[in-house]
Amino acid sequence: MNRRYDVVVIGGGPAGLGAALAALDAGTESVLVVEREPEAGGILRQCIHSGFGLHHFKEELTGPEYAERFVQKAIDRDIDVVPNAYVTGLALDSDDTRLVRVLSERDGLSTIECSSVVLAMGCRERTRGAIRIPGSRPAGVLTAGLAQKMVNMMGYLPGRRIAILGSGDIGLIMARRLVLEGCDVVGVFEILPYSNGLTRNVVQCLDDYGIPLHLSTTVAEIHGRDRVEAITVAPVGADLQPDMSKAWRETCDTLLLSIGLIPENELSQSIGANLDLVTGGPIVSSSMETSLPGVFACGNVLHVHDLVDFVTEEALRAGRFAGQWARGVRRPPDTVSLVPGRNVRYSVPHTLSPDRPHTIYLRCKERMQPCVLRVGDLINKKLSFVVPAEMIRLKIRPSLLDNFYGDRLTIDIDPRD
Amino acid sequence: MATETTSYTCISCPIGCPLQLEHEVDTIREVAGNNCDRGAKYARQEFTDPRRSFSTTIPIAGALHRRLPVRLSEPVPKDRILEAAQRIHLLSAEAPIRCGEVLLRDLLSIDGIDVVACRTMLPLE
Amino acid sequence: MCAAVERRMYDVAIIGGGVVGCAIARELSRFALRTVLLEKDAEVGFGTSKTNSGIIHPGHHSSNETLKGRLVVPGNALFDQLHDELGFAFRRIGELTVARDKDEFGKLEEMKALGESKGVPGLEMWDRDKLNREEPNLSRSLVGALHAPSAGVINPYEFAFALIENAQANGLELRVDAPALDVDLRDDHLEVRTPQESVPARFVINCAGVFADRVANMVGLDDFAIHPRKGEEYLLDKRLRGVVRRLIFPVPTAVTKGILIIPTYDGTLMVGPTAEDTDDRYDVTTTREGAEKVFESVRKICPPIDERATIAEFAGLRAASTSGDFIIGPTSVRGFINVAGIQSPGLTASPAIARMVLDILRDEGLSLVENPDFDPTNEPPPRFEQQSVERREELASSDPGFGRMVCRCETVTEAEISFAIDRGARTLDGVKFRNRAGMGRCQGGFCTPRIMEMLAEKLDIPLHEVTKRGGGSWLVIPMESGGSNAEGDGPCSDE
Repeated sequence: MNRRYDVVVIGGGPAGLGAALAALDAGTESVLVVEREPEAGGILRQCIHSGFGLHHFKEELTGPEYAERFVQKAIDRDIDVVPNAYVTGLALDSDDTRLVRVLSERDGLSTIECSSVVLAMGCRERTRGAIRIPGSRPAGVLTAGLAQKMVNMMGYLPGRRIAILGSGDIGLIMARRLVLEGCDVVGVFEILPYSNGLTRNVVQCLDDYGIPLHLSTTVAEIHGRDRVEAITVAPVGADLQPDMSKAWRETCDTLLLSIGLIPENELSQSIGANLDLVTGGPIVSSSMETSLPGVFACGNVLHVHDLVDFVTEEALRAGRFAGQWARGVRRPPDTVSLVPGRNVRYSVPHTLSPDRPHTIYLRCKERMQPCVLRVGDLINKKLSFVVPAEMIRLKIRPSLLDNFYGDRLTIDIDPRD
Repeated sequence: MATETTSYTCISCPIGCPLQLEHEVDTIREVAGNNCDRGAKYARQEFTDPRRSFSTTIPIAGALHRRLPVRLSEPVPKDRILEAAQRIHLLSAEAPIRCGEVLLRDLLSIDGIDVVACRTMLPLE
Repeated sequence: MCAAVERRMYDVAIIGGGVVGCAIARELSRFALRTVLLEKDAEVGFGTSKTNSGIIHPGHHSSNETLKGRLVVPGNALFDQLHDELGFAFRRIGELTVARDKDEFGKLEEMKALGESKGVPGLEMWDRDKLNREEPNLSRSLVGALHAPSAGVINPYEFAFALIENAQANGLELRVDAPALDVDLRDDHLEVRTPQESVPARFVINCAGVFADRVANMVGLDDFAIHPRKGEEYLLDKRLRGVVRRLIFPVPTAVTKGILIIPTYDGTLMVGPTAEDTDDRYDVTTTREGAEKVFESVRKICPPIDERATIAEFAGLRAASTSGDFIIGPTSVRGFINVAGIQSPGLTASPAIARMVLDILRDEGLSLVENPDFDPTNEPPPRFEQQSVERREELASSDPGFGRMVCRCETVTEAEISFAIDRGARTLDGVKFRNRAGMGRCQGGFCTPRIMEMLAEKLDIPLHEVTKRGGGSWLVIPMESGGSNAEGDGPCSDE
């Protein structure tokens, strides 16, 4: 590890590695990736199922394989990756210099100078506290991602008889994984009337194994003094409150939570980056630059993705612009703000520039089918259906913006017959 | 003869197209609802010989982690998944292992279905 | 009993390692005595103490007519010295009892007079303007407040750990996972039976908290009963740090002291507790109704506090006695001393209770000879996050353990987790309550595996024997798959 780099990337998962490679491709000479785990690769290392890479590599890979391709490229390109390292602080020193304080086992606490920074810290899982499940507090209540790490990397089972709250993809994937390891999965309970994970995961992770998916149902209470002994589950009404008159008890020793992911932006907040209250991630321009000059963001720290391929796509863009920044390229500010309208929960990036093509990621608020996606008067795209669990990706050609002179484009999703 | 329709959800990619397969007894007439060729292929396969792939882990000695993720080179018949998993769980490995290395050939004595390492694991120094 | 091992009589056996038992143990370790503390759980402080609100009360909420009212002011006064000696976190942040109307403001005047008569320092009435200035996030409809600057906050479990660590360093013997199953009366002593052994002692001190009546029953005493009263608390995200700077109390009613807003020592806000009687001495469940009660009450006083900011919730049992007061004193059974019914303000009173117990023991004929080697101080290990940049650089370069961040939400390094285990942590909760690892936003989602590994390594146990908090609170099961190659066709070589 040197004292100065062109670009420092915080986080060595697919977002960070993609950004680091793109920064090199943009002509920078030195890139440092700060990774908190003992090796780069990120959470993909524990996502041993397949389904990754169809867009980016045009083939279906497992998580570890997808990660390894990027790790190998980073090695081939001589990118410095400092493992077991943690960024304790970040400061903007001058227009050209950012200071990154890195704590690592190998080098202690050191300050690295760089021109630009890419935030790629990923996300964390929502916990029991976030949804306030009443009852006791025994061992055996854990997030699906923690269980995934225990099973796939450590070789331990979180329990024998498993209930899963929330139908996020990690929960669905873990249901199948635990059945293959000989556990009983008593059911997946989802408070919404539809699954929060990809349909294909409902099919191949639950249906294939006869695991029931209870929609519009939640865990109303946790029982057990030392270890989970049972849960009370109940259907919910339109107000999402449990109807205790229809509650029932499920015996289990483990409750996995797959109830959503939250971008990890404590560091971004500490340096004053403006956050989008809906995504939980920084507000970014079309060059993936945050409100702080020279600080870029991509991947799950920006907004939670369903597909790593789109993380990579976003990371390549962030890395390219971070690299250009380090080489002294300054772009004029974007001129068009992109505003979520009817049935659009959020869209990223937050602003556009008419001079180049854009890829926009967005999510709807609620399921709608069939429907039409509109971007101002510029785009009118028919979609067969939209669901909140599946991110929508939209390409905007520069020619589309040629005759647009406004400063604001609203995205709407409306029903159609 | 009467034409029947069987519905599937395509699992070939994250889009998850709803598929309808029309057939007369065992003869497939048409697949509808797919956005690409993989959907049609999936529905036909699912109707005649449903297969699934899966990943699991085996213990590995001398590496950074205690488990090595492995996958199948080709899917196995759907009704033999648990049997396949149990067979794989009898394996173990020792570092170094290279990503893509074949750990077991012809799983369940089916030609061409291999168990493959999903990542490289180097020996610990 | 094997004749070769002389079974030495203990001078004192303390039943129960809550803050009261630990405070007594530490006080006794000043003297040349053979003392043992028997704790039913895996670690001290894991019962009621762990779930205490952590408030060091000034003492103006209760009159001198009760024992608890008399012990609270002297207890409060002892905390500065204890903090200096033992190094647990303690800060006098002050307390505001807020009035919603004129009637309540009148009650504050009465509380002020009561407090002054008891020697509570610095009490001051604040009008609406001053209140708005000092605590701008409180409801504008409040008419005023009584400020008590001597109120403080601690982490109660940390207090228990600090006390027991010092007591142990000065010769106390600690037995964990050692519930008292029975107490036998002998001619000149008592025998406390635990699952592991029979402990002979001249004096037995019953600090068994919510089980104190059952322990008293073991020697035939049935003159009081414990009726546990449950309190639910809700811990809020760090982003609400600083919304209030002082402890905020509503004006107490005859029934309850109400729902409080507590800026914990670590800066995180906590709201609660509820007060519900329960028959179940293990009932530490939280409820939908409890949460509603807490947030409804708190919103009226401090509108920005939002239940969606909850990151954790828990409940504890107050060991309320039938008398409603502390029950401290010798009994008709020679050598058996009750320290029971210790409910609020028991944490504040605990150092004063410990001194009172010394006097009782002396009166009962125990000779207290000073322990010449007594060292009143603990040396707490450094908290990395709280050090200056220079000191952090120094620590990280001298010990790689400080260079490895394990809990990133609360920034706890590997070295600090090592220290916690060296100082008695045997469980995940034991680590968490010593240095906050796993207590933050992700609630252990990321750091649990590493902490489990460290516990397994340092305690020399397999990973699947690491527990959340002892007993049956197991965390993982080893996977059975793999390794046997039963069919003889091992891995192919790379081709």
